[in-house]
Amino acid sequence: MSGGSIGNAASSAGGLAGPAALPGPAAGVPAGSLVVDGVPYAISPGDTIAQAVVRAGDVPGSGGPLCLAGDCPNCLCEVDGEAYVRTCLAPARPGMHVRRHPATVGENPPLPVVDLGDPVAAPPEPEIPVRRAWVDLVVVGGGAEGRAAADAARAEGREAMVLDGADGIEIMGVYPGPGVVAREPGGMLHVMADEVVIATGAAEIHPVCPGNRLRGILTAGAADQLAAAGIELPDAVVVGEPPAGAASGAGRRVPGTLVRFEEDEARPGWVGAVVTVDEAGAETRTPCRTAVVGLGRASRDVLARMAAGPGVVAVGAAAEAFPMPPVPVDGVVCPCMGTTVADLEGAWERGFTELDLMKRSSRATLGPCQGGVCLPHVRSWIASRTGVVPDPFTARPAARQITIAEAAADVTVDAFRRTALHEEHLAAGARMDRFGGWWRPWHYGDLHGEYWAVRSAVSLGDVSTLGKMIVTGPDVVELLERIYPCNVADIRPGRSRYALVLNERGHLMDDGMILRDAADRFTLTFTSGGAASAEMWVRDWAEAWGLDVRIMDRTASLGAINVTGPLAAELLARAGLRPTPRMMEHVRTEVAGVPCHVMRLSFTGEASFELHHPVDRSVELWRALMALGRDLGIRPHGLQALMALRLEKGHVMIGLDTDMDSTPRRLGMDWAVRMEKPYFIGRASLARTAGIPDQRRWFGFAMDGEVPPDGTPIFHDGEIVGNITGGWTSPLFGKALMLGWLRRGEPWPTEVQIGGRTATRTPTPFYDPEGHRARA
Amino acid sequence: MRAPDIRLRPMPGRRVVATPQALDAVLSAGWPEEAVVVLRTAPDEAVGVGARGPLDGLIAHDRHAIDVEESALAGCWLTAAELGALVVPHLDWPLTAEAQRPALEQGKVAGVPAKLWLAGAEDPRGAALLVVNRVYAAEIAERLGVAW
Repeated sequence: MSGGSIGNAASSAGGLAGPAALPGPAAGVPAGSLVVDGVPYAISPGDTIAQAVVRAGDVPGSGGPLCLAGDCPNCLCEVDGEAYVRTCLAPARPGMHVRRHPATVGENPPLPVVDLGDPVAAPPEPEIPVRRAWVDLVVVGGGAEGRAAADAARAEGREAMVLDGADGIEIMGVYPGPGVVAREPGGMLHVMADEVVIATGAAEIHPVCPGNRLRGILTAGAADQLAAAGIELPDAVVVGEPPAGAASGAGRRVPGTLVRFEEDEARPGWVGAVVTVDEAGAETRTPCRTAVVGLGRASRDVLARMAAGPGVVAVGAAAEAFPMPPVPVDGVVCPCMGTTVADLEGAWERGFTELDLMKRSSRATLGPCQGGVCLPHVRSWIASRTGVVPDPFTARPAARQITIAEAAADVTVDAFRRTALHEEHLAAGARMDRFGGWWRPWHYGDLHGEYWAVRSAVSLGDVSTLGKMIVTGPDVVELLERIYPCNVADIRPGRSRYALVLNERGHLMDDGMILRDAADRFTLTFTSGGAASAEMWVRDWAEAWGLDVRIMDRTASLGAINVTGPLAAELLARAGLRPTPRMMEHVRTEVAGVPCHVMRLSFTGEASFELHHPVDRSVELWRALMALGRDLGIRPHGLQALMALRLEKGHVMIGLDTDMDSTPRRLGMDWAVRMEKPYFIGRASLARTAGIPDQRRWFGFAMDGEVPPDGTPIFHDGEIVGNITGGWTSPLFGKALMLGWLRRGEPWPTEVQIGGRTATRTPTPFYDPEGHRARA
Repeated sequence: MRAPDIRLRPMPGRRVVATPQALDAVLSAGWPEEAVVVLRTAPDEAVGVGARGPLDGLIAHDRHAIDVEESALAGCWLTAAELGALVVPHLDWPLTAEAQRPALEQGKVAGVPAKLWLAGAEDPRGAALLVVNRVYAAEIAERLGVAW
């Protein structure tokens, strides 16, 4: 191992001054070197990057005390294109390209610039492997406390895994479960365990005083580490608790309390003296080239604070309540964000007196070290003002900087479901889009053609995505009467009823149909997006009430095709459905040879028949209907046309038109609520608020010209009084038809301004208000 | 590992919902039809993969039971090697120990809701039956590199 010393570089300018430039060709670079900002540094066996740089008399990073324990941001560099690498933990390798991150003090920290090149032309990054493990116990920290915890578990026959930085492992986060996500050599590690023990020990307190961003300052632990590596600490002085290890004899002891560091005039940017003060207030200036500070320790508890809860426990120093450091009076508190004591005072004066508010206001603790350096000082500073040491805040992953590729390694996006007709849609030229958890045909390239097919002929829509559920049992009527705000018991077998689903506050959650199959058997339908929640809703309430029912979700098991339009009945007659059921009736029969549950209802405003059928027969049924309707002008319609058609009918779309607090009254749907029922979910809230005037209401609007975008604000007397939830330039009406919310209460304005034009509040449905066409 | 020679196929079956006691009683000796893999997906629900007709005796134990044809299943049998190479790297849970199989496991495989029936050591059909709903079949096939 070769010797060397901190602060003895012939010239530090190459590493610290001027814009950082990528290293040039390797000509002239000694073999076995790494390169920092274009300057080669020799590597001794066992060196970290930081040690190699310090050995050459320089420092990694842009200044400030070095802890060399991974706790501070002062040695962070970009290494081989990866930003925020802790060079004190990264083994040095020949050929490494290192760039210092820019200094941050006194200004917003600039983000490191990594040249990504052309992301399109660049070859794909290699996949980052993920190792998964399941063990009884994960111990974070391989020190004495961690090893003891692991040994104790193993003695009980439990499988224990120890994760330690010495093995090149960096913990990114501890998650409820509990689970640990870490970076390890060669990839990522995801571990699930019954228990996680945090044994991360303590970190050294960094000095906060004027001059603390100078180079040449070391913590006692860092001094020990460098000395052990054979790196000299030239002209060192020691303030506070001296090093206890290899550097225990190094340097001159300086009595008193640290006041400031002073710059070496001969070496700009480097420490040149330490100033301390004694109990009598007398200052002493001690020249030096290396300042070693031993200011105490603080619990290294960021991981323990990340997932405090069942299965996660901190032990040893990580759980210890150390004394607070002295109250900082001047200098940089947070080296990551450049926050000074003056910044804390400014935040305090603006009223941000709690730790969380101070954090957000001053940005202290928000940087790459996540408060590792500054949190004890900020807590101490607040305590000096309030008299109470504030509890530290909950930490959030990632505790260490992580690349997007690492975070995304082996992470899969949720799968979107495809109906059995997916390929049919594609073959018909559909533009598919994600909606309500499914891939759905948005349109087939001719929105108006699809619209007119429904209004004037016959059209097919794929509504397989609707929620579908069978409910049976002796208590089924009781259950549904409690769940729904409409009457259920009087629905006769073979009949159906439209129903809202309300939560306890009387707010609309979903809607759908109740179809009675038999005295004790019902089929329920829900919206595509709300089906999963609705199923849980029904199951949970049935269980909570202890009702004797059976529930089976059929959403993904049944396909559904909506046959709609004035010629729908003619088409279905050709397919063997004769007579067709009347409005709100449903029958089980064969259509084109496929067993179907045929439901007569209408969302489009025209006669509509939903054909629910075994999903493996969807393609067969779809093709048969398309063939039978060819001379009737049949064509499929997509979701976009469906939304336009329903808008003309003024039908609500849950989640698009509704908010979290939309009540039936606000939507003008009181007719779907039977307040005379003794009980249903949400009834108590609706009764309680019945006498309160509406503050918002959902209305229809019409105006000349093109429809403005959804969400467009509605103005009245120059003030915003609402917004549009949906609109459509109707070719039938030759107007822009809109649905939207009005606020500000009664009297509701009859004329408003939308998109700079005058619109008239118009009763809904816009189309066929008597419903003759749907019942035809 | 890409395995285009492995193909997810439609798997006919029956889905039943009844009281847990009724299902326990009827399924204690397995599905009455031969070669049916019983997936007990919940205390009150079971799926008989490969079943062709109603579950004999179920209505006698629970007259409100729901017993329907299930045509939405897709799946494939996997050898132990295929299971280890194709599926295990995409699991968020540890596989049930071989001594405790057959066993049903439910969760996400490569982010797709799926069921994994781990066969007993002597099962000639394979080491595991991977089952998904058809609505996810194309998605999981793409993610695992198998055919559908």
